[in-house]
Amino acid sequence: MTRINPSVTGAASPFIRKLEAFNALSDEDRQMLARISAEPEAVAPHTDLACEGERPRGVYLIMEGMACRHKRLHDGARQIMAYLLPGDLCDLDVALLTRMDHNITTLSACKVVRLPPETVTDVLERHPAVARGLRMSTLVDEATLREWLLNIGRRTPVQRLSHLFCELFERLTVVACVDQEGFALPLTHAELADTTGLSSVHVTRSLQELRQRGLIDLTDGALRILDAERLRTLAGFDVNYLHLGASAAA
Amino acid sequence: MNLRLDPIQVATGCEDQEGRLVYKDGLLAAVLVCLSDLHGTDAGKWHLEAMFEPIRSASAPIFADLDEAQTWIADQLPGLS
Repeated sequence: MTRINPSVTGAASPFIRKLEAFNALSDEDRQMLARISAEPEAVAPHTDLACEGERPRGVYLIMEGMACRHKRLHDGARQIMAYLLPGDLCDLDVALLTRMDHNITTLSACKVVRLPPETVTDVLERHPAVARGLRMSTLVDEATLREWLLNIGRRTPVQRLSHLFCELFERLTVVACVDQEGFALPLTHAELADTTGLSSVHVTRSLQELRQRGLIDLTDGALRILDAERLRTLAGFDVNYLHLGASAAA
Repeated sequence: MNLRLDPIQVATGCEDQEGRLVYKDGLLAAVLVCLSDLHGTDAGKWHLEAMFEPIRSASAPIFADLDEAQTWIADQLPGLS
């Protein structure tokens, strides 16, 4: 898709861009990160990377595309608890667990690196600036989960979607996946519903309201925010929970 | 099936206005709304807009017609299934 800039082909991979949003890295750090993420594997949409109940097979690093964490009820109803975007590492210390307590599944076509636990251990021990960035990233994952709980527990349907779009804009900007045309949003209404605790009917109505208010354009899987200030105000969006450093785009 | 349906117009904030109040034993039990063209291939189907008794499932499907909706609602309500 022309609207997304897959930064793996650019000067820095999304993994490096994301960590540099938290703190400065040395050339040696960058070279090491580039080396361990050099050969991502193409993964089809809707592929399980990790399944609840199974032994973790390593730490997944998303280089392109979008994946999610989710859990299901026995009747099939699903709640998506997190989006994993380019540059996101899934569960730094997952090797400490004997069994996964949730699923990680691709939403779109992805490029993914699976880091063996020993590689993660080596990075944490020998590259303190990278280790700091990864720990910051884990804290931000937890802060984001708290924000999502607030979102589905206390915001209206239109506010929930608005907040999600504001967050995606900020996170994708850090990893250079946003341009003047917006960003790729390869999600169905059902997936947005599973994310925001709504029915797909309410998602359809809410998206129409956001369009009619002139706040967004969502066409062919690409989202363009037309009035960021009003969308943030509507959502009650405060970017602080993402803890972005000085290198994050304003 | 001891359900009664009354036509109603519902203020959903969009074109989905045609609705039914669903009564069980004279008490309002649920509100159904017919989906408009806004919903593409689901237009003409029925959405459970609200339900007022404790139900067994937190997520209701979209119903092809009112008979299917009543069957689902009856299955959820104690004493009707």
